[in-house]
Amino acid sequence: MGEIMTDELRVAVDRRGTNGAVLYTKGYINNVGGEEIANRAYELMDDGVRSLLLNLRETKIVNSIGISILIEIIEKMIDKGGRIGFCCLTPVIHKTFQIMGLANYASIFTDEDGAIQEMAL
Amino acid sequence: MTAERQMELTLPMVPDIEIAAARAAANLARELGMASESIDEMAHALIEACINAREHSGSADRRIYVRIVGTSLAEGNSRVDIWISDHGKGFNVTEARSRRQKLGAVHKRGWGLQIIEAHMDEVDISTNADGTTIHMVKYGRLEEPTGSVAR
Repeated sequence: MGEIMTDELRVAVDRRGTNGAVLYTKGYINNVGGEEIANRAYELMDDGVRSLLLNLRETKIVNSIGISILIEIIEKMIDKGGRIGFCCLTPVIHKTFQIMGLANYASIFTDEDGAIQEMAL
Repeated sequence: MTAERQMELTLPMVPDIEIAAARAAANLARELGMASESIDEMAHALIEACINAREHSGSADRRIYVRIVGTSLAEGNSRVDIWISDHGKGFNVTEARSRRQKLGAVHKRGWGLQIIEAHMDEVDISTNADGTTIHMVKYGRLEEPTGSVAR
């Protein structure tokens, strides 16, 4: 909790091949943070990415509005025939994802190496 | 059982104010030695309660009233009671609890109450046309000496 940041969420992208990417988040995923992630994710989808991993290692706090936006991203990716995965979640964020059913539609990985291998990124 | 820590906050309903409430509760729980995972669960529940008040209460005074009481229990355990109140219009608890959204559903929001109840050990809601108070309780074991509580 001491790591809570109220600054805007920061997002970094690592493109991997022609249709893959890892998106790194840092900060609070609220409505504003969720929209920032969505904007980047949709740009990547428009550019052909169909396998997208979100690494939340530096995100310690989420809220339900932010997660609802992540669900919209998953829906759009599924519509395009792609796949989204998440890795490096805190136990509480993992639990919150499960409560909201997000874990039923996206893959959850413990670490980035395992996720990259499984998603063939 | 003796209340060892207590604080009251009156917060304006502005974006991200929930973080201030969560930080205050986390600091109090940390002073009691509560384990970091329990603190994080409590913080996420508190965040959702504040967001519900801010987004849905329709209160005229645009204030969230937060009371936090931390208590040390036997054998190194602890308990944190949190009351989140607003002077809004109230809501239908049964309807809110029955929401179970699915992927593809029109309404993806409205998960706050489910998240609160999943992360806290006890939740009691009093709501009517004059406002809402959510009383929630988190029990925590003592942080292990080798644990790494985020500061």
